[in-house]
Amino acid sequence: MCPRFSAVVAGFATLTLVTALAAAQAHAQSSIAIDERLAAAAHLGVGDRVVLASEPGVRGDTFVVGAITRRGADPSEVARDGYRVRLHLGDLQRLLGAGDRVSRFAVTSTDPARTLERINSVGFGFRAYPSAEIAVRTSKTFRVLRRFHAAIGVITIVASAIFLLCILLLKVDERRRDIAALRLMGVSRTSVITMVVCEAALISLVGTAFGALVGWVGSLVINWHYQGVYHTPLTFSLVTPGILGFAAGLSILLGLGAGLTAATRLVRRPPLALLGR
Amino acid sequence: MTIAIATPTPRPLLKSELLSARALVRDYPVGGEIVRAVRGIDLEVTAGEYVAIVGPSGCGKSTLLNLLGAIDRPTSGTVAIRALNVGAMTDTQATLFRLHNIGFVFQRFYLMPTLSARENVELPMAEAGVRSAERATRSHELLEYVGLADRERHRPTQLSGGEQQRVAIARALANRPALLLADEPTGELDAQTGAEIIALFGRLNAKGTTILVVTHDEDLAAAAARVIHMRDGRIIADETRRRS
Amino acid sequence: MRRRLAFASLRRRRARSLLAILGVAVSGALLLDMVMLAGGMRDSFRKLLLVRGFQLRIAPKGTLPFDTQATIGQASEIIATLRTNPDIVTVSPILGLKLHVPSRNVTTVAIGLDGDVQADYELLSGSPVSGADHIVANQAFLDATHARVGDTLTVAVGYDTPRRRVVIAGIARFFYTAAGELVVAVPLATLQAMGGPAVTDRVSLFMARVREGADVERARQWIADKIPRISAISTGTALQQFDQRMGYFRQLAVILGSISLGVGFLLVTTLVTVSVNERVGEIAVMRAIGVSRQHVVEQVVLEGVALALTGTILGMGLGLVTARAFNAILSDFPGLPAAFEFFVFRPRDAYAAMTMLAAAGVLAGIYPAWRAASLPVAETLHGEAIA
Repeated sequence: MCPRFSAVVAGFATLTLVTALAAAQAHAQSSIAIDERLAAAAHLGVGDRVVLASEPGVRGDTFVVGAITRRGADPSEVARDGYRVRLHLGDLQRLLGAGDRVSRFAVTSTDPARTLERINSVGFGFRAYPSAEIAVRTSKTFRVLRRFHAAIGVITIVASAIFLLCILLLKVDERRRDIAALRLMGVSRTSVITMVVCEAALISLVGTAFGALVGWVGSLVINWHYQGVYHTPLTFSLVTPGILGFAAGLSILLGLGAGLTAATRLVRRPPLALLGR
Repeated sequence: MTIAIATPTPRPLLKSELLSARALVRDYPVGGEIVRAVRGIDLEVTAGEYVAIVGPSGCGKSTLLNLLGAIDRPTSGTVAIRALNVGAMTDTQATLFRLHNIGFVFQRFYLMPTLSARENVELPMAEAGVRSAERATRSHELLEYVGLADRERHRPTQLSGGEQQRVAIARALANRPALLLADEPTGELDAQTGAEIIALFGRLNAKGTTILVVTHDEDLAAAAARVIHMRDGRIIADETRRRS
Repeated sequence: MRRRLAFASLRRRRARSLLAILGVAVSGALLLDMVMLAGGMRDSFRKLLLVRGFQLRIAPKGTLPFDTQATIGQASEIIATLRTNPDIVTVSPILGLKLHVPSRNVTTVAIGLDGDVQADYELLSGSPVSGADHIVANQAFLDATHARVGDTLTVAVGYDTPRRRVVIAGIARFFYTAAGELVVAVPLATLQAMGGPAVTDRVSLFMARVREGADVERARQWIADKIPRISAISTGTALQQFDQRMGYFRQLAVILGSISLGVGFLLVTTLVTVSVNERVGEIAVMRAIGVSRQHVVEQVVLEGVALALTGTILGMGLGLVTARAFNAILSDFPGLPAAFEFFVFRPRDAYAAMTMLAAAGVLAGIYPAWRAASLPVAETLHGEAIA
């Protein structure tokens, strides 16, 4: 990160933004970086002067817009509608009257474990965390969502399996006269089952291919929609080879299972019974 | 034995005339061509007659029966039953007419496999709005008449072919129809069972039921008082063997 | 007789009927869950907002309550201003800070409030926040600090702020905190004193109760006009913000609900269509013996409705079970108030789901039924004879 800027915690203070075309200042003014949404909403560009204050109605300081930034693909930012402004640390401390205070430090160390232990043993009122732990904690939202999506997925798979089994049962049942004729001709049970299972496998393959296409298109639509809603480059839905492989494998397995079940049911009955005699 | 040859000229409806067909034609599109299954048939059937329609396969006898029974509509010509032109009726009218005036017996019985024998007989009565108690009484009577009073709770799969056909006959008589039409009623039965059905038809006709059967069965044809011979969609002979 | 025929047809092919019912049940369960999700979370949030009857929240300008660490200055002046409005009957100021218990190495959320008008907790045992050094804690705090009611603890807001000895006066259930979160309630003045000049006469939030019958929106507008340096949020506004933030779940609910309905419809229509195709001969005979087209359609539609309704009833029960499971998963969201629920059962949701599935069942049967009833009788019989 550029040393000229420090990250501003969005919720550290309420910043009241007043756009002003200020007269030329005698002294050099500090620069700030604003996010592109704020730039668009307040019609600001690089070089514009703005007055920032810690509260509404309070006298503030004038700054120059030095840069316009784009929101990163940070999942934790997705639902947050607030604007972001980056200032030099000293400027923000002065603006807020915070004195020599910060929200947090980021520390690099040659021996992170030992550093962590030492900080936590001497510090009071604050704690040190490994960055990985912070990442885990802040990603808890998405782990919860992932479990939720997985649970929904399980239910849809169960419903699909039932649907598939029902359809295949119907299809095979519809052909019971053909199957009866084959059996009467001398075709073995195994051959009939193989024939039906192959048919089921073919249906599953075609269905899988079609379903994968629908899923891929759906994924594109989801990303396009939510990237627009949340103004973020974040990818919301991703179809990976692994996911595709899992879906294909599962649907083919279900199809084969359903076909086998349906065929076995039918060949167990005597051919004449299948003809209704 | 006198043989009456059908004439093309129309004549006035006789008082006892139940069914009258005039210049009946039925065409079917088959593979891009038009097949004329019935070619200008004139026919009269009086109340109480027992008529058999015979002829080689594909001569149009089943088609004729369907036209006479208001199941099918003629391409041209008229069919009048009880002086009503059934060929010109809408589907709803024809359905209602069949319910109250015509009983059908099919070669393959066509009983509802999920209903018992008694329920199959009750089906047309239920459709006609007959009350439950009356339906039960009448269906029992009919099954008794056809000799199946002890099998009324049995499903069709639990009955033999002959028994199923007798149930079908009882069903056809449920609403006291003016006309009983049968299409190859002994076609799926063995000789002995077929003879039982033939005898049943005989008893029904003796009681005054007007019967029209389409058949290949010589014995069934012999039992009829009048035999109409068909070939290539036409009546080639109309033979009255005895007065019904 | 039509009902008899319809149910008999379903019983005839038990395996497929059962599978279809099961399929509709699973679809119905998912549909109910999605209907509950679409409306339930909003309901739950609204109940949470109004748990103590406070219809208005006043937060730092441009923020939502406790969305940021910003505070509102000159709090007493604001309270005085709010009290000039006769429609505003109660004002509850709240300050949120972190409190540390050095001896137990525990950090807790501290809510500074006025015990007489507080709306943040329900006392379970002991005494409420009254004396300057009396605090009320939740069970999670007591467990973490191994303390009990009556114990004295030394606490501080930060490293360089004064420490203070406080007495645990009572145990409470806090409405707006997440499950497992450590929370204590402290007298507002005490917490402000402990926080030093940075929080003198400052609060994080006000809650205001409007008298019964008064126009809440009007009161909100009055506050916004009178005190432009704050944001006044009514329950309605808060719900709008909620809808925006939770839009994903509502959209998911609509999409999945629609898919469930579609799957249920497809299943019933497929089954009815195949069943009818198998029975064209029977249907033609029924028409031949005089059963009207309408009655044939009714019988077939009844089959579809029977499948759909049976599956729906099963699905409602299954849906309640799966909703509990989903709720348990989603309640793990960090920062979510423990009292908040995503899936809230409301009878009208069940009725809505059942009606939709029943309607789907009716529609699913209509087309195949009408097709079958409209087949030419003679041709169909001829075709069946050949077959």
